[in-house]
Amino acid sequence: MSAVAQLPNRRDEAWKYSDLRAALADDQVVLSEGRDVIERLAPGVQRMVIPAGETRLFVERMDSPYRDARSFEFTIEPGATLTRVIVQDSTAFPLSMARVHVAAGARFTQFVLAEGAKLARIETHVGVEGEGAQVELNGVYLCDAGRHADLTSVITHKTGGGVTRQLTKGVARKGGRGVFQGKIVVEHGAQKTDARQYHHGLLLEDGAEIFAKPELMIYADDVQCAHGNTAGGLDESALFYMRSRGVPEAEARALLVEAFLVEAIPDGLPAELHAELLSRIQSWLRRRPS
Amino acid sequence: MFEIVDLHVAVNGAEIIKGLSLSVPAGETHAIMGPNGAGKSTLAYALAGRDGYDVKGGAATLGGEDILALAPEERAAKGLFLSFQYPVEIPGLPALTFLRAALNAQRTARGEAEVSAPDFLRFVRAKAAALKIDPEMLKRPLNVGFSGGEKKRFEALQMAVLEPRFAILDETDSGLDIDALRIVADNVNALRSPERGLLVITHYQRLLDYIKPDRVHVMVAGRIVASGGPELALQLEREGYDKYLKAAA
Repeated sequence: MSAVAQLPNRRDEAWKYSDLRAALADDQVVLSEGRDVIERLAPGVQRMVIPAGETRLFVERMDSPYRDARSFEFTIEPGATLTRVIVQDSTAFPLSMARVHVAAGARFTQFVLAEGAKLARIETHVGVEGEGAQVELNGVYLCDAGRHADLTSVITHKTGGGVTRQLTKGVARKGGRGVFQGKIVVEHGAQKTDARQYHHGLLLEDGAEIFAKPELMIYADDVQCAHGNTAGGLDESALFYMRSRGVPEAEARALLVEAFLVEAIPDGLPAELHAELLSRIQSWLRRRPS
Repeated sequence: MFEIVDLHVAVNGAEIIKGLSLSVPAGETHAIMGPNGAGKSTLAYALAGRDGYDVKGGAATLGGEDILALAPEERAAKGLFLSFQYPVEIPGLPALTFLRAALNAQRTARGEAEVSAPDFLRFVRAKAAALKIDPEMLKRPLNVGFSGGEKKRFEALQMAVLEPRFAILDETDSGLDIDALRIVADNVNALRSPERGLLVITHYQRLLDYIKPDRVHVMVAGRIVASGGPELALQLEREGYDKYLKAAA
């Protein structure tokens, strides 16, 4: 068996919507044993520790025109805050895997803006490992024709009193494919966990695809958990309302989709970063009227 | 002058408006009253150009120009305004952003210059003050969390900002308590002018106590079956629609 054949394909549950074996069939891939597939493809693990009580902002730009596999391990010490923003607009095979350890009273906020690629996958595994840790894991995907974006996450509450807020929103045009796989695990001892997971996709045209696999696995009995998942089209009554006020159809669609997406951008980002994210969304929506 | 001649409209293949004619001169306020199912909201949506409301015949003109062939946004730019029975909520879209997009789109369509953000803000604040509307409302997402009264007042503010030549108010009284009704009616009355025609659609005479019409039309089964002065509304309130329903059956 060649090394390429060891890459996961659609029969692998964790990769059922993203066939990496087919995507990388032309590349020479040699896998070593152990760890997750993206970690094995990455040249090494980049490690970052956020010391207790400190605050860091980490912005990653995935814009390489080549296969780009990255592996990270973040340790957020007690009371520290990490905000991680990923902007993916490369076209080839951007693959990212992060393991995040969130200690007591620490806070992890992540926002991914993915424009997809031949195959883009941004995978995040978060461990809530101390009392009262807070996680906000949001994302927006924008999938044009020929673009595939896969946002996959596993958030594991290992200790009690943790809070997770996850909101992923995305849009796909004809020939584009968005994937959301989100798992929240609340382990046996993680009482008083408060976890909410939402994914909402908009199919902008016939022939667009959105796949979602939301999962909640709860082994504790005193928790608050909720999830919601929708995929549909634009609200025609909202569109008519805007047009009846004089806003042309293409602009009305862009404004409505923008309003839908921006809810996923977390509060509290630096103003210039927030403005950049907004302007990327706005220009994507107006690049070709849908 | 807004004029409808022998209008026929079908929804899902079923004819709902069956040869309706009506004219509202500039400066006048007319009311259409009718029972549920008469086709009042269908008329409003068809005139505004909503998809699925198929005009099968007839004409509608504003200032002599046919509007039925135009897209909804083109009708708006020509000066038509529909105040919705149920204004749509749009989370994530600030009311102010929406209103500025609407005004500038209309101005662009008419070949006028766009209004800058500071000028627009001043303009809207003045309009809001004239209608005694709290400008804080404009920072909130469009209609989200607005009470029934606030939604209708925001419709009136949109009308004040967009300055249409002809406005259709579809069931403006629905969802309002008496106090809210009076406030919204005051807002609408403030927008009456010699250049502007209004068509007020309602089932109840109550709204017409506050927005006094020049003419009242009774609509039953897709047609206007009677027209008269304001006294016709009072007569309908006493006698109901029975007489007209029997005649139409």
